[in-house]
Amino acid sequence: MPNGGPNSQAILVVGGGIAGISAAVETAEAGYDVILLESSPVLGGRVSRLNRYFPKLCHPTCGLEINYQRIRGNPRLKMFTMATVAGVSGEKGNYTVTVKTTPRHVNAKCTACGDCAAAATSEVPDASNYGLTTKKAAYLPHEHAFPMRYVIDPSVIGTPEADAIKAACKYDAVDLDETEQTFDVTVGAIIWATGWRPYDAKNLTAYSYELPDVINNVEMERLAAHDGPTDGKILRPSNGEEAKRVALIQCAGSRDHNHLAYCSRICCLASLKHAAYVREQYADADVDIYYIDIRAHDKLEAFHQKLKNDPQVTFHKSKPAAIVEGPDGRPVVKGEDTVTRDVYARDYDLVVLATGMEPSTAGFDLPVTLSQDDYGFIVPHVEDTDGMFSAGVAQGPLDVSMSVQSATAAALKAIQAVDGA
Amino acid sequence: MTAPLPESNGKKYDLGFARWVYENVDGGDKLSMCMQCGACSGSCPIGTEMDHGPRKLFMMIRAGMKEDVLKSNTMFNCTSCYNCVVRCPRKVPVTYILQDLGRVAQRLGYAEAKETDNARFAKAFFWSTRKFGRTDERLFSAKYYLSFGVGEAIKMAKANMPVARSLMKAKRMHLGMPHKIKGVKELNAILDKAEEIEKREQGV
Repeated sequence: MPNGGPNSQAILVVGGGIAGISAAVETAEAGYDVILLESSPVLGGRVSRLNRYFPKLCHPTCGLEINYQRIRGNPRLKMFTMATVAGVSGEKGNYTVTVKTTPRHVNAKCTACGDCAAAATSEVPDASNYGLTTKKAAYLPHEHAFPMRYVIDPSVIGTPEADAIKAACKYDAVDLDETEQTFDVTVGAIIWATGWRPYDAKNLTAYSYELPDVINNVEMERLAAHDGPTDGKILRPSNGEEAKRVALIQCAGSRDHNHLAYCSRICCLASLKHAAYVREQYADADVDIYYIDIRAHDKLEAFHQKLKNDPQVTFHKSKPAAIVEGPDGRPVVKGEDTVTRDVYARDYDLVVLATGMEPSTAGFDLPVTLSQDDYGFIVPHVEDTDGMFSAGVAQGPLDVSMSVQSATAAALKAIQAVDGA
Repeated sequence: MTAPLPESNGKKYDLGFARWVYENVDGGDKLSMCMQCGACSGSCPIGTEMDHGPRKLFMMIRAGMKEDVLKSNTMFNCTSCYNCVVRCPRKVPVTYILQDLGRVAQRLGYAEAKETDNARFAKAFFWSTRKFGRTDERLFSAKYYLSFGVGEAIKMAKANMPVARSLMKAKRMHLGMPHKIKGVKELNAILDKAEEIEKREQGV
């Protein structure tokens, strides 16, 4: 150890989304011990809930699967799911981190056979579908879950249902007595890859998110996903009919001093991708995109141009003023077209609000003092004496490829920190 | 004190006007925040009645189109519902800017500003306030209608008879002598003083 003493060369990565996974894998493959914490029962974060990536429209499961194999094959990487940071003390080279785990009630003997789910009777909201559907109280989070292990929802613990679930398991994998635990780990550096959540569209009162056919962009991903609530068909949530007149509203609560003052950078491309989803499914569909400006940076402009050339995709330079319920229950988008000065009111089958990314750490009392900007994003790195780094959307709005880049950068900086460089 | 509006010397695009608005119109300092998204004009309940609407009017101010801005009916159609102010993503106080621009147009004597419905209505309203210390719905409506000429006034009065009947039924309008407040004289003194202060502040 170059700097001698009791320093630890282990690195803690907080958050098991695409940035956390990338940072952990890169660090471990460079020969360092890594501890990866994830608060939910599965890795993959928001990315595992996407249908496709822009601009190539390939499936995120593909890249995640490769990373899961790298995790499985690396003895230096220890991963804890359903684990959060309860406290941090110490300094660069010697942090003591208190980790708290919540019970999964299913141990490593689980073969994911599904007998427990068959025995469960109550339903809980399905987090992997953003609560658009429910699932049994004994569940596999989704079909590509990693770790591939069931979870028993705490709501059934202590009920006869839990006993039935335990009795159904042939492998003795159900542990109803598991309790919350805390333990300490010693690490030399910490990478915060705590990610984001979609801005709450309920705050956009003029946009009537409460209407069934007004959804947000992450829900649109689920509507288009083969394992989503509609098996991948883009259908109107209100009545299950095909959504053939679709409005995509950009900057819904972004670049807005009443909501998120910043641009989340991904929503324009995500919406262009949603337009592609709709056009791919329905030859006679019309998609209207309402925007202030389209921010398709670098090579992504080609994807923008491709959609612009589609005669059934119309771009309206306008920030809609309001969305109201029409006489037939369909959402009506109202506003002023800033190019033509027309004041419009157009009805749609489905309206998708492109809500921005809010840091997961915003609005919470964190167990440790981190350097955060005005919006709650964690500053990537403050100074050399500090062993804290951030990666992915925890440091600012990024798309997947930029998140992975930031994760690699954070991995390198963390290695330099523990090496005393 | 409000600086006098600089002369345009016949220029169609006078950037001095834009600067003057930023510095002298109520809320004008926030005008440069506008990003032309259209949320204001789209939010406006009577946006279709406006020739330009706030968004376009703000762009015209930036372009220095003094004459077109001050001849616009946009300011006078504003009902001060504040939808635009609440929704503006850049916190531009749209309503204040429109109201003050309307006053500027009035003060500078733009015919368009004097002839809008709202200007006539406000004038009649103020006449009633000064005369009775309150609004007499019947007389000030008549005063407003008559500003369009006798023939037009009769037509307008006839068209509004159902409204008048409803108002009378609800005891919001009455026949007979207008009701007056006790201190009409004192109220007029207050209003005179207010006008004097306004003029002083505008450097007139």
